[in-house]
Amino acid sequence: MRIRGILRGAALIGICGVALPVRPQFQPPSPDELKMTADPKAPGADAVILEYREADNDRLLTEDIYTRLKVLTDKGKEAATVELPYWKGASSVDDIRGRTIHPDGTIVPLTGKPEDLLSEKVNKLNIKRKVFTLPAVDVGSVLEYSYQLRFNDMLFVSRGEEWRVQQPYFVHKAHYEYAPYAPYGGIGVAWWPHLPSGAALNSPGGGVFTLDIADVPAAPDEEWMPPLNSFLYRVRFYYSLKAETTAQYWMDEGKKWSDIVDKFVAPSGALRDAVNRIVAPGDSELDKAQKLYTAVEALDNTDYSRAKTESERRALHIKDIKHAEDTWKQKSGNSFEIAYLYLAMLRTAGLKAYALQVVDRMYEVFDPSYFNWDQLNVALVVLSSGGKETILDPGEKLCPFGQLSWRHAEVRGIRQGPDGVSLTTTPPENFADNMTTYNANLTLDAKGAMTGSFTIVMNGQEALYWRQVALVNDADELETEYEKQLQATVPEGVDVHVDHFVGMDQPDGSLIAIVNANGMVGTAMGKRLLLPGYFFETRGDVPFVNEQRRLEPVDMHFASRINENVTYHFPAGYTVEGAPADARVSWPGHAILVTKSTAAQEQIAIAYSMVRAFDLAEPGEYQDLRGFYQQVATTNQQQIVLSSAETGKGS
Amino acid sequence: MFMRIPRFRRTGLFSCIGACLAVWAGNSAWAKNQPAPDWAQEAAKAATPADPGDAAAVLLYDEYVITVDDQNHAVERERWATRILKPQGREWGHCAVDYDIDEKLDYFHAWTITANGQQFQAKDTDFEDKGAYDAPELQMTDRIRALNPPAGDPGAVVACETQKRLAPYMDEEDWQIQYPIPVVDEALELDLPPGGHFAQSWSHYPPVKEVEGGANQMRWEIKGMSALDLENLHATPPLEALAARMSVFWGDAAVNGVDNQWRAIGVWQDQLEAHRTDPTPEITARAQALVAGAPDLYTKLSRITDYIQKNVRYFIVEKGIGGWQAHYAGDIFRNGYGDCKDKTTLLIAMLQSIGVRAYYLHVDSERGVIDPDEPSLTGNHMITAIELPEGESDARLMARVKAADGKTLLIFDPTDEETPVGLIRGELQGAYGNLADGADSQVIQMPVLPPDSGGLSRTGSFVLAADGTLSGDVTDVFSGVDAAGERGLLKENTQKDVREGIEVGMSSDLPGATFKGLEFEQTEKLDQPIRLEMQLSAASYAHSAGPLLLLRPRVMGSDARAVPDVMESKARHFPIEIGHPGCWRDSFDITLPAGYAVDGTPDPVNVDVGFARYHSTVTAKGNTLHYEREYVVKDVEIPPSKAADFRMLEGSILEDEKGAVVLKKD
Repeated sequence: MRIRGILRGAALIGICGVALPVRPQFQPPSPDELKMTADPKAPGADAVILEYREADNDRLLTEDIYTRLKVLTDKGKEAATVELPYWKGASSVDDIRGRTIHPDGTIVPLTGKPEDLLSEKVNKLNIKRKVFTLPAVDVGSVLEYSYQLRFNDMLFVSRGEEWRVQQPYFVHKAHYEYAPYAPYGGIGVAWWPHLPSGAALNSPGGGVFTLDIADVPAAPDEEWMPPLNSFLYRVRFYYSLKAETTAQYWMDEGKKWSDIVDKFVAPSGALRDAVNRIVAPGDSELDKAQKLYTAVEALDNTDYSRAKTESERRALHIKDIKHAEDTWKQKSGNSFEIAYLYLAMLRTAGLKAYALQVVDRMYEVFDPSYFNWDQLNVALVVLSSGGKETILDPGEKLCPFGQLSWRHAEVRGIRQGPDGVSLTTTPPENFADNMTTYNANLTLDAKGAMTGSFTIVMNGQEALYWRQVALVNDADELETEYEKQLQATVPEGVDVHVDHFVGMDQPDGSLIAIVNANGMVGTAMGKRLLLPGYFFETRGDVPFVNEQRRLEPVDMHFASRINENVTYHFPAGYTVEGAPADARVSWPGHAILVTKSTAAQEQIAIAYSMVRAFDLAEPGEYQDLRGFYQQVATTNQQQIVLSSAETGKGS
Repeated sequence: MFMRIPRFRRTGLFSCIGACLAVWAGNSAWAKNQPAPDWAQEAAKAATPADPGDAAAVLLYDEYVITVDDQNHAVERERWATRILKPQGREWGHCAVDYDIDEKLDYFHAWTITANGQQFQAKDTDFEDKGAYDAPELQMTDRIRALNPPAGDPGAVVACETQKRLAPYMDEEDWQIQYPIPVVDEALELDLPPGGHFAQSWSHYPPVKEVEGGANQMRWEIKGMSALDLENLHATPPLEALAARMSVFWGDAAVNGVDNQWRAIGVWQDQLEAHRTDPTPEITARAQALVAGAPDLYTKLSRITDYIQKNVRYFIVEKGIGGWQAHYAGDIFRNGYGDCKDKTTLLIAMLQSIGVRAYYLHVDSERGVIDPDEPSLTGNHMITAIELPEGESDARLMARVKAADGKTLLIFDPTDEETPVGLIRGELQGAYGNLADGADSQVIQMPVLPPDSGGLSRTGSFVLAADGTLSGDVTDVFSGVDAAGERGLLKENTQKDVREGIEVGMSSDLPGATFKGLEFEQTEKLDQPIRLEMQLSAASYAHSAGPLLLLRPRVMGSDARAVPDVMESKARHFPIEIGHPGCWRDSFDITLPAGYAVDGTPDPVNVDVGFARYHSTVTAKGNTLHYEREYVVKDVEIPPSKAADFRMLEGSILEDEKGAVVLKKD
C-alpha cells in the first residue's frame, strides 16, 4: 500500500493541462485473430478478451471502455450481449459503438439503438441499464465495442475507482488509466493493488496511474472456494485526506470507531435498571455475562425476523437507534445493535468488555492493506474475566454463549483492548464443538424391508443452522426441510419422517431430531441379503473426489466431527457372511475416518466416525486432501452380506 | 421463458422476497396515515378456513373489476387482502403489479391491519419498481412495482389496491382462481359499454354462472377455493397446468364456442404478424441456395431449419406489443438474433421462399398449461407448424399431426437449437397449441413420439482386478431427443464444466474413478447421434465383505426416476410426468479376476406396465460376467390411476440397480 498527495502534481496539471485519454479507435483484427479457433493460453475457453482498455478520468468525470474479444464456442456468443448499469440522474452511458467481424473479415456494424431498461427504482434511487447485443455473431467472430460512462459531480468524490483486472474471460492484453481529480486542499489518492506477480501499477506523471497487463486468467470457479471477492485481481483507488501507513490507517480509524462505540454503549439509567433486573449481586462475572447474553439474545433480532419499514417506524413514533439503551427499550435491533447493546450491558454490570469488528467470511477476507473500514461488517464482543478473554457473538441469533458462527471465526478484524485498538484474529472452530451423532436402530425382514428410528444429535454449527431455519419457518416447514436434507443421505428406497425435535429453542444444549424411517434398504439375492455398510453415507456427497487439480484454497467453513452408530437387527436364521473390514483412513493432522463393525446374534452394529479438524487448506495440500476423500468415498460404498441357512430362489 | 407471459392475473401476488429498500424519502411520502378502506377492513374480518393445511397465508379477498369503454379500452382495478399465517408466509404480503410501456399504472395503495387491529398505510418508501426480467437475453420493458408491507408479520392482513389501464390491444382477461394458498372470497367483474358482449371459458373448474349486476355488468364469484400446493409433490405437471382458471373476452374477440374462440385468437395472431414473414430478396436467395441440390423434402427442411438454429441467436427485445408481435423477417435475418416469434417468422419466410407453407403455433414451454377447453392467450412460446405435402411419408419426420382441416403438419421449434427437424423435445410432446391459419386456425395436440425418437445405448468392457479395481472402456451413443439434450449440455457449458459434470455425475456410482479419456464425438448434423467415449478406472469398485467380493454389475447410470410421494404410496391426484419416449440400453462385459468364481447373481427382472417396460439380466460365462438391460418409455405422463404400476416399475429398477454379484475365491 502506498499513498501520496497529488497536490503538487495537480498544480502542474493546472498549468500544463491534462493529457486527455484518447478514445480508442476500432482496429482491424490480425489474421491470427481472425483464424483463431481455440486459445492455447485458455484451453476450453468460450471466449477470450483480445484487448481491453479502460480510461477513467475523475477530472472529466468519464470512463471510457473499449473491448475486443474473440468468440470461441456457442456459449461464448453470450458475450455479444452487453449490459451497462447506471444510476439515472447521476450518470449516463453514451456513445455506444460496436461491430462484429466474421472470420472472413466481413464487418457488421451495430446499428440498433441500445435498450434503456429499468433495473430497480426505490424513491430517488433509479438504477437503469443500457443493453445492446452485437449483430450476426457466430463462433469465430471478433466482437468490438466501446462506450463512455459519464458521472455528475455529486458522485465523484466518494466514488474512487476500481479496475476489475480479472474478468470472466481470459484477457490477452489490457491497459488501464486513471486520472484522479485535481484536489482541494491536500486530499490525496490511495490505491490498493491486488495483481499477479510481475504486474505493477505505474505513475507516469501528471497525477495519472496506468497499468499494462497481459495474460490474465479468467476468474476461477471451484467448489468450496473462499469468497471470490477476496482474491480476484483488481486495483482500487480512493481519496484520502492524509498519507498513512497500514498500521497508522487502522489505528486512526480504529480510534475513531472506538470512540463512537464507547459513546454508543455508555452506561445510562435505563441500562442500569435493566441490568439490575437481570443479574443478581452475588452472581459471578461469568453468570452475569451469561444472563445478559440470554437477555439480549431474546430480543427481536431484525436480521432474522423483519426490520420495520421507514413508514412503520414513523407511524409508531419509533426513534432511530442512537444509543444502546434505545435497542433495549425497543426490544428490537439488528445484529450490530444487539451486539453493542450486550457490550453496554456488560460494562454497565461492571465487567471488562471490548468491542470487536470483523469481516463476514461468507463474503470477504479482510485485507488490512485495503483502507476501507466497510470490510468490517460484523460486531462481536470480547469479554475479559478471570484473566481470560472470551469472544462472544450476541448478534448471531441463537448462537450459544461462548461460540461463534463459523462466518465470524478465524477472521481478522479490529478490537478495543486495555491498551487501545489493535488488529486481531478470532479463534478457529474446534471440531469437538461441531459434533453430530446419528444413532439408528433398524429392523429388517427377509426381503430387505426396514423399519426403525434415528436420533440425530446436533451441536455447534449444524444445530445453529437449523435453529435459525426455525426462526423463519413454522414447525411443519422446518420438518419438511430437514427431511429433504436427510432423505438425500439415506439409501434410495428408504423414507424418513421427522417425528419431532428436542431443544430447538435452547441454544446452549444439543438439538435432537427424532426420526422414523422405513422402506427397502436391503437387496435380496436368493439366500443372501445385501445391506449398505454405512447407512448415512451410501449416497453421501463426498467432495473433491473427481476434481483432480486445485488452483484456489479450500474453505470448508468449519471443522466438525460426525459419529454414526447404526444397528441392523435381522430376521432369525440369518447370519453375517461378510461385513466391511474395520477401517482407519487418515490425513495426518487434518482428518481421520474410523469404522468398526461388531456382529452378534441377529444383529450387526456399525460405528462410523469422521473427524475433520481443518476447515482451510492450501492448494499445495490438495492432493493429500483429495486422497483422503477418495478413500472415504470408496469406504462409504461397502456392503454387508447376510445369509440364510435356507436356500432362496435366486441364482 | 420465451415469449411474453400474457397478463396472467397472478402478478398481483408476485413474490418479492428480500426487497431492500433505500430511504431517500421525499416529504410527500410522510403524508398522514389514511385508515384502510371499508373493503379492506371487511376483508380482514374474514375467518381463516378451518383447515388451511400447510398454507403459509390465506387470500381472504381477491376482486378484479374490468371496465371497458366504447373504444374497447379497459381499466382494471384489483383489490386483494392476504392474511399471513406463518413466518414463511410473509412473502405473500409482498403485493406486486406488473405493467408495460403501453399500460399505465394509475395507483397502487396498500394497508396492513395487524392481528391486534392496528393499521398502517404503505408510503412511497415501501414500494420498489424493478425490471420484470433480469436475464441478459431477456430485454423487456415490462416492470413490476412491489410492496414491502409495513408490519407484515404473521397474523397481519395486507390489503392492496391497484388500478391500471390495460394495453389498447388487449381484450382478454385470464383469471387465475386457484393458488398454492386457499382463497376465501374472489370475484371478477366485467363492466362493458352499451351493446358490449363477452365470451368465457373455464379450465379445471366447472363453469360459474355470472351474476348480472346492471346493464352490461357481469360478475363471477367464487368462495372457498382450496389451495393447490405442489411443493412437496414430485413429477407433477406445473401449477399452471392444474390450477383452476377462467378466461373472458370482450369486444371483437368475444365469440361463442370453443372452436370459434381458438379461431379468433389465431386470426388475431395472423393479423398481428401480417407481412412480417414476407421474404426479402436476401432471404429468398439464402433459402434457395441452401436447398439447392437437396434430394428430398426432409433434406430441404433440414438445411433451412439447421440454418436458423445455428445462425439466429436467441435474444429478446420486447416493448409492449413486442411481447406478441415479431420483428420483420428481413431485420431478423440481418441482425442474426431474435426471440421465438422472430425465429418462427424467419423460418416461415424462408420456407415460403422454397414453396413450403408454414404457420405460427402458439404453445407453452410446459405441457398442460394450454387447455384445449379454455381458449386464451395463455402460453409463453411460439413454434412452427410446417405443412407437409399429401403423401409425404419420410419416417424421419416424426413430429407430425393431422389438423382438423386435413392438413398434415410437422411441428418444429426453431428456438430449440439442438432438436432436429422431425422431432420435438419431451416438454412439447402431447401438449396443445393454437395454430394461426386464418379461418382454419384451431387448437391442435402435438404428438407423443415413438420410443425410437430418443435414448441412449451404452456399452462397456471392463476388467476387474483382485483388489477390486475396475477399469475399462465405455461408449455412450445418444440418439434423437437425448442427443439434442447432450448437444444443449455441450453448448451451454464450458468444456471444463461438462467434464466435471460427468465426473461428478458418475461419482456416486464410481467414487474416486479417474477418467483417462472422456471425449465427445459429434457432427454438425443435428440428426446424427452423439458418441461419448470414456476410459476409466475405479479403485475399490468391488468391495470385500468378509471372504466375499461384491460387484455391482450395473456399474454406472440409473434409469430410476425419483418420485418419493408415489413411492411412499401416498394418494396421488395428479398425473405423473415420466420423461419422454425413448429406449435406454446398457450392455457390459466384466472380466473377473483369476481365482474368483461367481457365487450368486441378482435375479433377472422383467416388468411391462404398458407405458414403460424394463428388462435386466446378469449371466456368467467362464470368467466373464455379462450385464444387460433395456428400459423403454412409451409416453410422457401417466394418470394418477397408474401410480401403483409406476411404483412397481420403479421399485424393480431400484432393486435391480442395487443388485450385486457375489464372488468367492475358488
